[in-house]
Amino acid sequence: MVASSIAIEEISKELIQTRDLGVTEEGERLVELQIGPTHPGSGHMRIRVWVDGDIIVRCDPDIGFVFRTIEKLSENRIYMKTIPLVERPSLLDTTPMTIGYINALEKLMGIEPPPRAKYLRTMLAELTRIASHLYGVGILSIFLGHSTGFMWGFGDRELFVELANQLSGARITYAYVVPGGVRRDMPQSFPDDVEKALRYMERRLKDWYKIFLNNPVIEDRLREVGVLRKNDAVKLGITGPNLRASGVDFDVRVADPYEAYDELDFMVPVAEEGDAYARTLVRFEEIKQSINIIRDALKKMPSGDIIHPQIARMFNPLMKKIYEETRRVKFPGIFASLKPPKGEATARVEAGRGEALFHIVSDGSPRPYRFRWTTPSYRNVILFKYMIPGHRLADLPAIYGSLDYFPPEADR
Amino acid sequence: MASQQPQASQQRLALGKALEELATRLSEHLKGVATKVEADKRSMVINIEVDRSRILEAAKILSSLGFDHVKSLTGVDYPDKGVIELMVHIGSYSRGLRRIMAILRSKLDRKDPRAPTLTQIWPSSELQEREAWEMFGIVFEGHPDLRRLLLPEEFEGLWPGRKDFEIPTRKAGEVEEPWK
Amino acid sequence: MMLPIVMLLKEILGFNDTIYRTVVGLGYMIIYPGLLLVVVIAALMLWAERKIVALVQLRYGPLWVSRRIGGALQGFADLIRFSFQEVIIPRRSDVIPFLLSPGLAILFSMLPLAFIPISPSIHPPVYSDLALLVVIAIISLAPIFIVIMGWASDNKFAFVGSLREALLIVSYEIPLIISIISMAVIYRSLDFYEIVERQYMLPGMILNPFAFIASFIAVLRTTSRFPFEISEAESEIVAGPYTEYSGLMFGLSMGLAYIKLYVYTLILSLVFLGGWLPLQGGEGILLGFLAPSLVVIIKLSLLSLVAVFLRAIYGRYRLDQAVRLGWIYVLGLSIVSLIWSLALVYGGWVRWE
Repeated sequence: MVASSIAIEEISKELIQTRDLGVTEEGERLVELQIGPTHPGSGHMRIRVWVDGDIIVRCDPDIGFVFRTIEKLSENRIYMKTIPLVERPSLLDTTPMTIGYINALEKLMGIEPPPRAKYLRTMLAELTRIASHLYGVGILSIFLGHSTGFMWGFGDRELFVELANQLSGARITYAYVVPGGVRRDMPQSFPDDVEKALRYMERRLKDWYKIFLNNPVIEDRLREVGVLRKNDAVKLGITGPNLRASGVDFDVRVADPYEAYDELDFMVPVAEEGDAYARTLVRFEEIKQSINIIRDALKKMPSGDIIHPQIARMFNPLMKKIYEETRRVKFPGIFASLKPPKGEATARVEAGRGEALFHIVSDGSPRPYRFRWTTPSYRNVILFKYMIPGHRLADLPAIYGSLDYFPPEADR
Repeated sequence: MASQQPQASQQRLALGKALEELATRLSEHLKGVATKVEADKRSMVINIEVDRSRILEAAKILSSLGFDHVKSLTGVDYPDKGVIELMVHIGSYSRGLRRIMAILRSKLDRKDPRAPTLTQIWPSSELQEREAWEMFGIVFEGHPDLRRLLLPEEFEGLWPGRKDFEIPTRKAGEVEEPWK
Repeated sequence: MMLPIVMLLKEILGFNDTIYRTVVGLGYMIIYPGLLLVVVIAALMLWAERKIVALVQLRYGPLWVSRRIGGALQGFADLIRFSFQEVIIPRRSDVIPFLLSPGLAILFSMLPLAFIPISPSIHPPVYSDLALLVVIAIISLAPIFIVIMGWASDNKFAFVGSLREALLIVSYEIPLIISIISMAVIYRSLDFYEIVERQYMLPGMILNPFAFIASFIAVLRTTSRFPFEISEAESEIVAGPYTEYSGLMFGLSMGLAYIKLYVYTLILSLVFLGGWLPLQGGEGILLGFLAPSLVVIIKLSLLSLVAVFLRAIYGRYRLDQAVRLGWIYVLGLSIVSLIWSLALVYGGWVRWE
């Protein structure tokens, strides 16, 4: 009895040690690697790859580690309280998310913000877009081992985060956009500070090209890696700079303009190759275009109210005084009991990573009946399943970084 | 800036008219398949209501007209009417149609919500159908890989997206896994 | 060549030549220029790397530990911290290779120091006139222990890391050996003393630049400097073969790269940069031993600083790209350097009496 149980233990120990090199359904001897949530190169998600030698044969993205149920939470909260919820997942370009939600809400309510508010929203959205692209390039750099790109990305981004701090009072989560306008006006010194920052960024872009984009090692790692063909990108519903690097010039700011974008002058960068290098190039070009948009917006900034007159009518005298003296909106009681009429509304915006969709179903009560929200990273997850097989294991971080995929944004 | 206002509203009127025209043309293509096609000028969408048995047909027609990807696929739960409405936002990357979206709606029986999978027509709906299944319990017939996407294993048999899902709250002194 | 103080030591230790030689040899290997100097220079090189890279990246680098000298003692602080951390041994790992391989890797990396002279006046503990060949042979054994490290930890990422290391060893050791041998062809000697002496007109770098470039790139690969930091690529395989090590074992593994950098750059500075020239050996411990050794250490540090600075510039190569680079370009360069050396010698341009 004892001898046979020891023998069983020995055999099972042997089996456990060889458990990984079994034969899977493809008939190959594959090694399954879990690039899991505590891996330095995975972010908040788990990527299961099956590797044959050095080639990835199958890839299964396992998302949902940071699922915060924002859609369900909003069903129990008044409309105003969803604004901070909506900006938390997409922590880097928060403003386009709030703009989208408030656009859908304003369509339900049937009001439109005054022109100055539209320009302020646009300017903040472009500042956060630059910050988001710098973050994306920084993450790509550290995945490739290029620590200088990482530190420069975060260092340069600090400038724009500080500017947003000046404008809205918070560094990353602003809650700046409210139904009917914006919450604060820009300070007096703001245009000069912005101009200084933009000039600094233009100088830095030249350094970036020298050390990162024209670096032979980086070019070797990114060229011809993760090629996404045009019809695949369209079929899979990919969005954002990933789509534009594959030859489709779709940008929501041009196709379906919102806020002040139809009055501003900018171009949409498009590349043809569809590889990781093209995606990175498109992001750098978008930074340049965002610089142009911010300059244009500052030049064309109209004067006037920053909150819709219908809402301003509901200010009590103290709020009116504060608004006139410091141009800050103190929320009137209407915001707490905001009851938009029964109906549905859809809005979409171009966030830093692509197109975000907002759909609100209202039944006339102060809480939304259903809030549906799709983020660009959520639509890009499918690339893990279809684009990665066939590449080498070391290409996985390169492709992941070039997609600028942000797990909390995908999980919402 | 003031001079741009009438220009903008004129533009909007023209857009609204174009949207209505597009909606009438779409309803011609979808004759007999869709029960209702109407334009929503505020959101620049065209709502297309179909019966459950005609979802695939309508999807094929829309795909051939140029709508090439799914932006969002989800359900809306109406427990008092006994239906779960499947709501699919479809868009297009082609030049003419990229300005609008179409919303394909279909009412499914709440006690046994089943719908045909749209992955054969629009591969972009693969992961979104998984999420709709795990949130509402809508079984997509023919889906290649219907399993949970965002929720952990403890949510077997629970459909959190539905209105009758009791959101677990923790009382003082309670420990982990209150949904068991 | 014996110094008077050394003769005094011999008098004191008396009759037994072996005891004398043992004591001097131990001092050489353990204190200067052996273990202690290696640890000091490795720790300083660690600090220099972090500081230089930080200055390029718009930040301060190590600053907290010894503020007044710019944080230079950071390496020693890290070493002390590692010594007090718990060493965790995974249950299913192969315990004896797991524990022994970092130490053995360091052993084989530092053993060549017994053969390499650092000044013209004192002989190394083992004097041989085939020293160059012996040193290259011994130090080529060290990477094998890295492969063992990865296999002995029961971890898939460590396994992948040691596979990468194994592939890269084969691709880059061969060019290194060929380049060094081509220098030996020019100098017509494998003895370090003669090699350094014969650079009195031109350093080896200029006599055979191809060999210098090929061997420098091969050294970058062996010490895992960027762009060849492939076997320990952090964002792909956590820490490669070193993943499961913690505490002092991890400190040893991380220090291994800098120790190898020291030894390789020592060899390179003797063979290519002229060693202790322009100082000739003299009488007395100061002129005869310390000053020439300081010249060697300065040249070695210059090479190390260049190697270490590349972290700020390059990313990481992919495995197959690095292997292709090794087999096509670096091997080709080393073969060209061999042909060049042969042409120089048999064409009559280089002649030694």
